[in-house]
Amino acid sequence: MPIARFVERILHLIPVLAGVSVIVFLMISLTPGDPVEIMLGDQRATPEQVASMRRDMGLDRPAVERYFVFVTNAIRGDFGQSFFHRRPVSAVISERLPATIELTVAAMLIAIGLAIPLGVLAAVRRDTILDRIATVGSLFGVSLPGFWFGILLILFFAVQLQILPVAGRLGYAMEVPAVTGFALVDSLIAGRMDSFWEVLRHLALPAFTLGLPSAAILMRVTRSAMIEVLRADYITFAEAKGLSRARIIGLHALKNALIPAVSVAALETGTLLGGNMVVETVFGWPGLGRLVVESIFARNYPLVQAAVLLYAVTYVALNFAADLLYTVLNPRVRL
Amino acid sequence: MKEQVQNASGDAGTPLLAIQGLRTWFETDRGIVRAVDGIDLDVRRGECLGVVGESGSGKSATFASVMGLIRKPGRIVEGSIRFDGTELTSLDDRARRAMRGRDLAMTMQDALTALNPALRVGTQIIEVLRAHDQAASRSAATARAIELMQLVGIPAAESRIADYPHQFSGGMRQRIMIAIALACRPRLLIADEPTTALDVTIQAQVLDLIAGLRAKLGMSVVLITHNLGVVAAYCDRVAVLYAGQVVELGPTAEVIAAPRHPYTEGLLRSLPKLEDLDHPIEPIVGQVPDLISAPEGCRFAARCPHRRDSCAAAVAMRHVSPGRQVRCVLAEGAAP
Ligand SMILES: Nc1ncnc2c1ncn2[C@@H]1O[C@H](COP(=O)(O)OP(=O)(O)OP(=O)(O)O)[C@@H](O)[C@H]1O
Ligand SMILES: [Mg+2]
Repeated sequence: MPIARFVERILHLIPVLAGVSVIVFLMISLTPGDPVEIMLGDQRATPEQVASMRRDMGLDRPAVERYFVFVTNAIRGDFGQSFFHRRPVSAVISERLPATIELTVAAMLIAIGLAIPLGVLAAVRRDTILDRIATVGSLFGVSLPGFWFGILLILFFAVQLQILPVAGRLGYAMEVPAVTGFALVDSLIAGRMDSFWEVLRHLALPAFTLGLPSAAILMRVTRSAMIEVLRADYITFAEAKGLSRARIIGLHALKNALIPAVSVAALETGTLLGGNMVVETVFGWPGLGRLVVESIFARNYPLVQAAVLLYAVTYVALNFAADLLYTVLNPRVRL
Repeated sequence: MKEQVQNASGDAGTPLLAIQGLRTWFETDRGIVRAVDGIDLDVRRGECLGVVGESGSGKSATFASVMGLIRKPGRIVEGSIRFDGTELTSLDDRARRAMRGRDLAMTMQDALTALNPALRVGTQIIEVLRAHDQAASRSAATARAIELMQLVGIPAAESRIADYPHQFSGGMRQRIMIAIALACRPRLLIADEPTTALDVTIQAQVLDLIAGLRAKLGMSVVLITHNLGVVAAYCDRVAVLYAGQVVELGPTAEVIAAPRHPYTEGLLRSLPKLEDLDHPIEPIVGQVPDLISAPEGCRFAARCPHRRDSCAAAVAMRHVSPGRQVRCVLAEGAAP
């Protein structure tokens, strides 16, 4: 991509992010009632405590001023205090973030690992039993709710077969010192292969639950892109050259079919963020998604605000990454 | 044993490619399209055979059958294709693949879509050499690829080898496709409309290039084209196809000077004449018959100015003079 267009795309992100920040900010201002009282809920507080909390949150100043304070603070990574945790919101979030990233990456790897080979196979063996099974299976994957699927997996693998843990991330006995926050990485750093394996076992069910709907969508995209590409003249010409079937499908066809598939994969990763909340709650996964759900119920507004903003920024960034990948994979767009 | 020796030395008596009774049909929703319906055709060693005919007459389908490139819903229903004594239709996939691109090569009708947009042109040349063990190493293959690009007249080949197809003009892409087809020095080159996408000067360059390489490498060439002018300039013999059948076959000069089939006559009359530009061109009236329900007798009868009752019966190819055959009841028979 030419530098000018790259810069232009980045500039396009600014109004989007500005819009998101306004909405996130309004979350508090537009909620009926006094946010402080709502947040305090049933807890008793002296009028002095209420007043000081209101001052901390800047609620005694005009909305426009509050917005700009909010944005400048947000840019610095300061989202105020989590009343509930009695710590800065940013600290609470960064503690939970690695578990979510770990889960999302695992889910995406599962989705890609299933979808691309199956999509290719379904396209190559088009209209065979295998293709039908894959297509019907993906229809289920797309239309069934993820949590329902997760519960089925729990019932089968954790309750029935008892080969995988029901919930959580790592037993206390297996705890390793947190260096990066990524349990898999930390286990390796600590040289604890038993912990590493334990994390993987805990990761398996939630990652599958989260990844399968994306796998279904990605498989459909790969299949139809592959079918389209296999009809192209350059595939016939590749055959006329006497190349092996493996090279024609694995290189000539796949390289072109991956162009749409990879963009969809990047977008799907953004969608997984939403799925995280449900899956983390179902599987008791100590990540950001569950934290957000808890915070919503606890009316912990600053934390919800920060999380929503983080989701939005990540989503926009992934969109941007999808664009970039499209350009990188497609030499016709590159310059 | 004796046969093998003869084959290896290139038996000059037998044709390089012999197509007999070839039928290639496509099973579509509308019915069976008999794209190739009983074609007999030889390609001799070292010759350039022109194949002409209107759009849809089965030119590409015939030679895609020879290459083994017919895919569903198409199928070779019957017939024999012998290449240098080997029956191709009964070979397994592996053996066929080994011959494709090495012994027989084909350039595609549309050069703009024949190269893979996602791969560098160098890769696309090198891979055919590697597939047929024509280069000892990667660097030897690269060197040979540059040589091939120079051979087909691409300037600055060393640097352009890393470019992608879209970075080349249509004419250059055509040349790269030819370079790929020629990479393993095939004994037969099938050039399907090598000039349609090109302007006249580039057309001549590409055709001269093919002719030069034919002389240099001693290969046989099948030139599929709409353009009888091209045939006159480059081909030793010409086969005229109509609705999936050969209707006239013979030495180019003879066929053009004195066509014996009314369809060939019509084709020639529909060409603009250089010596008499005021003379109106006369297109053949009517349309190519539907290949799903082609008439049993002569397929050209409905459009033929000389039609008579006997045209309703099936007509076989007749030898009219040495080396000339015509599928028409009007053609006087002669000893072959
Ligand atoms: N994949 C296919 N499915 C169905 N019909 C096909 C297919 N390929 C070719 N045909 C039919 O076969 C007939 C012959 O096609 P072919 O491409 O051989 O013609 P052609 O002589 O090469 O024409 P052109 O000059 O336009 O290239 C046409 O009627 C075409 O519709
Ligand atoms: Mg054609």
